[in-house]
Amino acid sequence: MRNRLVPGMLLVTMLFALAAAPAMAADAPIPPNNPTSTQLVNTQNVPGDITKGLFWNGKTVTFHGEAIGEVMVRGDYAWIHLNDDAYMEKNVEEGATLAGYNSGMAIWVPAELTKQIDTYGDYKHEGTIVEITGVFNAACKEHGGDMDIHATSLRIIRPGHLVVDPIAPWKVWLALALIALAFGLWRLDRMTRNRISPHRGV
Amino acid sequence: MIVRPRKEDHLVIGKYTGKVIVGVGLLMCIPLVTSIAFAEWDTAVDFIIAISACMVFGFGTQALCRTHKDLSWSHGLVVASGSWFFATALGALPHFLSGHAGSYLDTLFDVMSGYTTTGLYLLQDLDHVANGLNMWRHLLTYAGGQGIVVIALTFLFKGTAGAYKVYVGEGKDERLLPNVIQTARAIWLVSLTWLGLGTLFLGVRGMMLGQGPVRAFLQGLWVFMGAWSTGGFAPQSYNTFWFHDIGYEVICVVIFIAGSFNFAMHWAMWTGKREEIRKNVETISFFITLTVTTLVVTFFLAQANIYPDAMSLFRKVFYQLASAHTTTGFSTIYSRSFVTQWGPVGLIVTTIAMAIGASACSTGGGIKGIRMGVISKALVQDVRRMISPESSVIMEKYHHIKDTWLSDGLVRGAMTVTIAYLTLYGIGAIIGAMYGYPLEQAAFEMVSACSNTGLSCGITQPFMPDLLKVVYTLGMWLGRLEFMSVFALIGYGVAVVRGK
Repeated sequence: MRNRLVPGMLLVTMLFALAAAPAMAADAPIPPNNPTSTQLVNTQNVPGDITKGLFWNGKTVTFHGEAIGEVMVRGDYAWIHLNDDAYMEKNVEEGATLAGYNSGMAIWVPAELTKQIDTYGDYKHEGTIVEITGVFNAACKEHGGDMDIHATSLRIIRPGHLVVDPIAPWKVWLALALIALAFGLWRLDRMTRNRISPHRGV
Repeated sequence: MIVRPRKEDHLVIGKYTGKVIVGVGLLMCIPLVTSIAFAEWDTAVDFIIAISACMVFGFGTQALCRTHKDLSWSHGLVVASGSWFFATALGALPHFLSGHAGSYLDTLFDVMSGYTTTGLYLLQDLDHVANGLNMWRHLLTYAGGQGIVVIALTFLFKGTAGAYKVYVGEGKDERLLPNVIQTARAIWLVSLTWLGLGTLFLGVRGMMLGQGPVRAFLQGLWVFMGAWSTGGFAPQSYNTFWFHDIGYEVICVVIFIAGSFNFAMHWAMWTGKREEIRKNVETISFFITLTVTTLVVTFFLAQANIYPDAMSLFRKVFYQLASAHTTTGFSTIYSRSFVTQWGPVGLIVTTIAMAIGASACSTGGGIKGIRMGVISKALVQDVRRMISPESSVIMEKYHHIKDTWLSDGLVRGAMTVTIAYLTLYGIGAIIGAMYGYPLEQAAFEMVSACSNTGLSCGITQPFMPDLLKVVYTLGMWLGRLEFMSVFALIGYGVAVVRGK
């Protein structure tokens, strides 16, 4: 009996580990971009000299980030925006530490590829983390000088999910106390106004 | 001798400040309804707390400060600046409770930026904030553009001679109609008509660009509020760069240029005096300086070969410069692109456009077109005097609603305020430079804050020094109220402490 118990427990443990492995892999931190969106905007060929242009202009880059907001389909292509900031994996509502502004890149991508993206980030959603490969344009000729990446491929790194922002109980108590106080002061204001002022509604 | 304010002075200031704060609380009902509509329950509770806090303050001060006395000029100025102070402190509650702000100082910065229609912000993870909070951010700037005192005048003050003094204290002095309450309502009539049309155009355009109807109209409403108030807030961290569309940009430009015009000129147009737009010294001044600044930046960026063709170059330069000159703060380039792509010339010329700013008695900030017009006319007058015979009398006039002859007093007034702005810009730039930022970037950021523009070259960050946050916040306040009201509040404080 004991001889069967030990291998059985080992088997169960292995099965559990195998089942949990994808989830654990999915939760593993995603390495930062190289280059990041900040580097794409900031890195000049010659520091301080605008005439020499931006270093990454015209180069093919692989870039990942949280799909944010929405997809805007324009014919066969579409605009998406990928944020590679501190809130890419977990936003403030989920308890992310405040770490500055959002930052990201506008991506011009074949509309067909965007069908893989299931969630776009907003207050109630953490968006799908998407990796694209394409050409970075410091000032895109096709798009009126916009800074963008023209993507040719797209793959999903991690699907998006719903975000719940529960109401903190202390906020409810504070709200009730303030409502009661405000109502009391409003009544006091009305009563003293009627008693003292002959000019109602001044 | 400084005269210490009497009890009656405190009472009248407290009473009217309380009324304005009740108005702010009522305004918060709109984001509360938005939160409920989108089932953002935590945000809804944040707004209930903030509304209640405003009511406690408003009803509390009105109950405590019972008086029949009407407002004097000094009261009006103190009520205006004091109302802005308390409206900022209480209006910051939803930002703070949302958890997206690093500190209460950051929230004060954001709310002051909203009320003053500046558009700089320190809120973090903006792309994940609730619709309710976004509604509040944009409503702040829309209401601030008309003037929060104007709101209170419109809805809460029932005919008082002192109302005009609070109205002037908020940096507005045009009487469109004989009664100041009617004037405040006229401002709202114009603004709400534009709100309806602007939101419709932006919403429809948003849908054509691939946005869903709810999001298109909600964002259309917010972008309108940011544009009309020359505030520059946008619902996404990408600002108006989000839309990637020349049509959307054109609609925005039309709205923010219209928003930067004097309300008196809007009223003249509204009442059929269409020639006013051609003759007004402010529009003439605006179009001259906008043309010159656009040409200079276009020339230098063309030399540097930053943009791939003439159309892209003009589109980018005109949008940023028009946004800067109207003190809106919308942008279609990244903040750091002002440094890495536009360079020192682009930064300096944009700074000059922001420093000059929009029209007086509009939603915009800066030195203002009318002062530039008056000072330019005075310069022309002096040159003409120099080259004319001594016995000749040289007179200059300018047109703003009506023709006005230039007087020494008028020129002195324009120069005084201009010098005050330049001093403020200079002090802030030096403080920024002392923190190690390059001078042209420090000047850009300070001018942007004090002229209530909101463009950034990257200095404004949640982790920038606290003192710089305080300097920019005070700069926004001083710039929006055009100094006098804030000085009156400081004077009132000194009189309380040191008066006899």
